[in-house]
Amino acid sequence: MNAHSNAPIVMQAKGLVKRYGQVTALDGADFELRAGEILAVIGDNGAGKSSLIKALSGATIPDQGEIFLDGQPIHFRSPIDARRAGIETVYQDLAVAPAMTIAENLFLGRELRRPGIMGSVFQMIDKKKMLEESIARMNDLKVGIRSMNQAVETLSGGQRQCVAVARAAAFAEHVVILDEPTAALGVKEGNMVLELIRRVRDKGLSVILISHNMPHVFEIADRIHIARLGKRAAVVDPRRISMSDTVAVMTGAKSAAELPPQALAH
Amino acid sequence: MNKTSIKLPPIATLGPFIALLLACLFFATQSERFLSAQNFSLILQQVMVVGVIAIGQTLIILTAGIDLSCGMVMALGSVVMTKFAADFGLPAPAAIACGIAVTTLFGLVNGLLVTKVKLPSFIVTLGTLNIAFAITQLYSKSQTVTDIPDGMTLLGNTFRIGDTAIVYGAVLMLALYLLTWFALRETKPGRHVYAVGNNPEATRLTGIATEKVLLSVYVLAGVFYGIASLLTVARTGAGDPNAGQTENLDAITAVVLGGTSLFGGRGVVLGTLVGALIVGVFRNGLTLMGVSSVYQILVTGILVILAVATDQLSRKGAR
Repeated sequence: MNAHSNAPIVMQAKGLVKRYGQVTALDGADFELRAGEILAVIGDNGAGKSSLIKALSGATIPDQGEIFLDGQPIHFRSPIDARRAGIETVYQDLAVAPAMTIAENLFLGRELRRPGIMGSVFQMIDKKKMLEESIARMNDLKVGIRSMNQAVETLSGGQRQCVAVARAAAFAEHVVILDEPTAALGVKEGNMVLELIRRVRDKGLSVILISHNMPHVFEIADRIHIARLGKRAAVVDPRRISMSDTVAVMTGAKSAAELPPQALAH
Repeated sequence: MNKTSIKLPPIATLGPFIALLLACLFFATQSERFLSAQNFSLILQQVMVVGVIAIGQTLIILTAGIDLSCGMVMALGSVVMTKFAADFGLPAPAAIACGIAVTTLFGLVNGLLVTKVKLPSFIVTLGTLNIAFAITQLYSKSQTVTDIPDGMTLLGNTFRIGDTAIVYGAVLMLALYLLTWFALRETKPGRHVYAVGNNPEATRLTGIATEKVLLSVYVLAGVFYGIASLLTVARTGAGDPNAGQTENLDAITAVVLGGTSLFGGRGVVLGTLVGALIVGVFRNGLTLMGVSSVYQILVTGILVILAVATDQLSRKGAR
């Protein structure tokens, strides 16, 4: 979707630095996310991609550098700050409470309460309304799960991931960050999650997708951010670059300057 | 695959109830005195102290913690409330409040050590178990406090339904179970207790103050132990420094028999009531059969292991 290369920038980071003792995880990393795009973030182990994502989602505080959301500088001190700013993150393996129902998981920490004194004083939750809203939101994203009243642990891995992604999409105002959402899933389940990610983008949200799975990245990303040695090595257009060239930049076998100019995305 | 996983939860929740019925059937065949309203009323009376302690224990186990100090803290509470009344002449309500305050304080200390110092609840409460026991013995000089006001034993009085005398304390226990069951099921803080037990990290990331949830669970457990202190005083008519020793482990046994998972996040508090009744029925039934109390302990031990094994197996099935 080349139209996105002209879309406004939703989230931006400049010169992020993060050190852990002797190790420099981020060494002046830049980052740009455009409105309504799926931006894949790839990189070898230690390239600084998880530190970058942690800084963007509020899980760590960078030592230096600036982050902007809609042009405004932001300083997240916790993932909760990021969430309040409209950025939802799906953490790998940390997404759901398995013994609780899908509806409860969707509204965890944002429970709807009964109207009046029952809700305000006695803190009673409105199960019926949460169930209805869950059905509406899951239908909206075309997630085909029969009952919202079943425990998440009764679902397959792909369905669980769909619940986590749908929760993020349902509450995010700007950005959804997905950390390896298709890892450990079979082909069919992986495709189910990819389909859902597309629908999240088509709702108008911007998606940051961290993934090791190159075929998935090439199938779904509008642009690819390649992290290397704590910096941004390049941003490439998956329609105009080969998978092998992308991997070459990722591993340092090729520099961005050696790529054909049309392979780079702006 | 879906078939088995959807069927499992109801079996897991009905299991304790079926076990209780089977136990009742068995003892009914062994002793004709077992199956009488009077005997059931007696079982309720015997169960009420451990039953109320087990409510607090359930809350803690739902958060994947455990409280080994519960019975000893209960004993300390009962000694404090009886001695405050006997030594300082405090009126019953004030003395009771002091006793409950002490058990609540122990809950607070347990909770702070678990949430702020990040110590495992097992170790923390193993420490406070001994501390509470020592304080109880030192403060009471290992003497039973008998000179207590009538107001303190009101809950040990009975009312009659037909020919059956029912103790008020048992009614209080049942009311507390219903209240806790409702709160855990229908209220926001209640659901957060389950969420913390299920996946603390995911819960924290949704913005829920998980430490606050944990701390309030320990404090609330302390309140329940304090109420149990009052019930034990009401039942025995004295402040006994050696109380709580069987209740300490019986409370954990009741929770586990009731189907609450030691791994946290799964269980229903009404199951704990059934679990406490199972323990009570076994104790009562074996006594009626004239079996020595050592065998009762043996049976309780076997029951716990069976219950934990069932928990493990049903969890595997649900995966």
